[in-house]
Amino acid sequence: MSAHAASRVALMLQRQLGARKVLTSNAERMMYRHDAILIGETPLAVVLPESSADVVQTVRWANQHGLAIFGRGAASGLSGGAVPTSEGVVIAFTRMTKLELNPTNREAWAEPGVITARVTDEARVHGLVYPPDPASYRTSTIGGNIAENAGGPMCFKRGVTGDYVKELEFVTSDGELHRATRDFYDICGLLIGSEGTLALITGARLRLEPPAHFTRTLMAHFGEVGAAAQAVSRAIAGGALPAKLEFMDGACTRAVEAYLHIGLPVDAHAVLLIDVDGDDEVVVSQELELVEQVCRAEGGTVRVAANAIDAAALWQARRAVSPALGRIRPQRMNEDIVVPRSVLPMVVREIEALGVAAGLEVVQFGHIGDGNLHPNILFDPRRESFAAVEALAHEIARVALRHDGVLSGEHGIGISKREFMREAVTPDTLKLLWRVKRAFDPDLRLNPGKVLPDLEPQQTGRLSHAGA
Amino acid sequence: MNNNVAALHPTPSGEIMAHAVDACVHCGFCLPACPTYVLLGDEMDSPRGRIFLMKGVLENEIALEEAAPHLDRCLGCQGCVTACPSGVAYGELITTFRGYTEATRRRPLLERIKRAGILKLLQQPRLFRAGAMLGNLAKPFKRVLPKVLQTPLELLPDHLPPLEVAPEIVPAIGVRRARVAFLVGCAQQVLAPNFNAATLRVLALNGVETVIPQAQVCCGAAALHTGARGEALSLARQNLAAFNLGCDAVISNAAGCSSGLREYPLLFAGEPEEALAHEFAARVKDISVFLHELGLIPIQRQPTPLKIAYHDACHLAHAQGVRLEPRALLKSIPGVELLEIPEGELCCGSAGTYNLEQPEIAAQLGERKASRVLGLRPDLIAGGNIGCHTQITRHIALQPSGGSVPPMYHTLEVLDLAYRGEL
Repeated sequence: MSAHAASRVALMLQRQLGARKVLTSNAERMMYRHDAILIGETPLAVVLPESSADVVQTVRWANQHGLAIFGRGAASGLSGGAVPTSEGVVIAFTRMTKLELNPTNREAWAEPGVITARVTDEARVHGLVYPPDPASYRTSTIGGNIAENAGGPMCFKRGVTGDYVKELEFVTSDGELHRATRDFYDICGLLIGSEGTLALITGARLRLEPPAHFTRTLMAHFGEVGAAAQAVSRAIAGGALPAKLEFMDGACTRAVEAYLHIGLPVDAHAVLLIDVDGDDEVVVSQELELVEQVCRAEGGTVRVAANAIDAAALWQARRAVSPALGRIRPQRMNEDIVVPRSVLPMVVREIEALGVAAGLEVVQFGHIGDGNLHPNILFDPRRESFAAVEALAHEIARVALRHDGVLSGEHGIGISKREFMREAVTPDTLKLLWRVKRAFDPDLRLNPGKVLPDLEPQQTGRLSHAGA
Repeated sequence: MNNNVAALHPTPSGEIMAHAVDACVHCGFCLPACPTYVLLGDEMDSPRGRIFLMKGVLENEIALEEAAPHLDRCLGCQGCVTACPSGVAYGELITTFRGYTEATRRRPLLERIKRAGILKLLQQPRLFRAGAMLGNLAKPFKRVLPKVLQTPLELLPDHLPPLEVAPEIVPAIGVRRARVAFLVGCAQQVLAPNFNAATLRVLALNGVETVIPQAQVCCGAAALHTGARGEALSLARQNLAAFNLGCDAVISNAAGCSSGLREYPLLFAGEPEEALAHEFAARVKDISVFLHELGLIPIQRQPTPLKIAYHDACHLAHAQGVRLEPRALLKSIPGVELLEIPEGELCCGSAGTYNLEQPEIAAQLGERKASRVLGLRPDLIAGGNIGCHTQITRHIALQPSGGSVPPMYHTLEVLDLAYRGEL
């Protein structure tokens, strides 16, 4: 579309919704190209809806003009899910922030722009929490979390975002507003993790839970990465069910320590961060003891958090890992693999070896309890070849698949892992996924270029990998 | 993130800006820490958006006029710096950018006059006081005045205490434990002269000899942060000379000023005095840090237990990482209970001259802060910055309090009263 035609089309919507809700200037539109890892095309317009009705109107307008629609929350995602792949319209939900709590029913109704951590912050007054806690939960939105089916440290014991969704309100590609619960055909289940490619989520009924009465936090560090993974496998096999079980390697630990200065073991090669919780103090202490013993048996040095403040500092450290990696190299390629716990030590060592062989800096961290690892290749585009980085990323994905793992635990497929999908599912299954997509979005207008690779392999667009 | 800023702007300023942009990984952790993002909910008015905007302007992809409204809305509170895991020097970026681009800004005449007027007035206490008196006379006619004049009038206290002339030296009482040079601050001399009087008394009582260089001028922070780099440089040069004397530390009791003095290395980047500026900045300390390190002589138990809500000034907490020291000083008063203000890391909206330039956003933030503070039902509020003081007292007075309104004091005023048993 010519610049003139584009601005004429954008102005039509602006007249319907008002200037406050539709952004059309070059500077404004350019601010909606990125997520936390990729930078894409400049959209033709950006809409900041304040109600579901605004979303319906925007979708109908986009249909009239044949425009692609890209849903966006806080854009803290790590796979390009919210990044425009063509000159369409970005619908950014950051102003749809109504949150209603219903403590009696232990549920909350959240608009998509509600910041994740706010649900627990407000529910805590009623003795309830919303467990899913992605590292970015102080920034990320409920809409984005549902679209990506986000996980987080708490999810090892309590389950992921999708396990807490009871009902969804959503707008389909033809501009209809719907509500669905988890019965009949579980459409919610289909939309959870669909990354904005099937519908736009405009509201969600979330399940809340009472938190555990007692929580203890432990940090253990090891001289070798495989030993930490071994300790995890043995602790779980021994009957422990920690509330959180997180891992970061030495490089991650040093990067975070440079940010927070809280006395993390900077010479360690692997650090485990573990929470055990429950309603019975004796049982919690026993579980802590078991984890402590296993860590020591694998050669680990253990530090038990003295109090809640100490524990909170350690968890802040874990949440800061991903962005703090920018301190090591300006850019990174991140992965989100999940492998069976039994093969964790092997997988961690294999990935470490691949990095060494490629001559690239590879760091690893993640929710090791459920086998969800985030190997990151850190690089400087001025000195290291992007092709080599991409090749290594593909190799790492293959390690996961070889060990019966999957490509994405929680970040989504987005743009980053789209091509890997061909190796993750059979051609027939890919065709089935495309049939589902077309049933919801026959004109392929919702978040095109994401999740599903074309049936025929194609050239990728001109996206710059500008993430750190 | 990838950028061509240094290549396109091969100057010391270009290098500073490129370095900050480089470090940003656009993770978005800064969004909830940004007061304007919290209020407006759009990317352009977030730190991440502003970094992209500045990058776009410097790389000639975005017109300065398009980016300017969003960059002007930045309070410079540096809440994002605290929240940033990647270590982006956002404060250095926006300050340098403002200085670098101000010359090319097209501003309406009235706005230019107002900006220059505010800077000139703030720097000269006598002139400021005269202006303020005149302002008080004009208050009844506020409604008919141009809008640019209404906000400053609203912030003026009705009663102005007389100007106190600081002596050149205030000797230590008893054994001398230290010798410091003191920056008196501009606006606070007019609006709250007791800040300095209390500070000098507490220093003397604690065995500190205070030198007040008579040739000192405004620290230049207001000029530097609004893009008037030339003016800031000229002021800073005078201060480098005025404070060139033997002392243990250079002390300020205004967060904005101590932070401004500590920014001299940034201001002098590429100038002949750069090394001197580094040396000077290393000696600058906020009064709370200095006293905490020195160790207070014991304070008597107060007649009645007291709940104090401590307000973090952004230029202490975010710009200088000073949180613990003022709290520790207040807690050393027997009988004091310290309250933490919810959402305490969010700016009160004062932000230097911000409440004069962006009155709507400043007022929303002021209201929000006042309601959070009052919700704690404190006996008094303590803080360490004149700007916050003016903003918070004004907005607390505007809140429906349903009872008595807690007074706000400088941390040093609280200590002064406590030493005298009058708290």
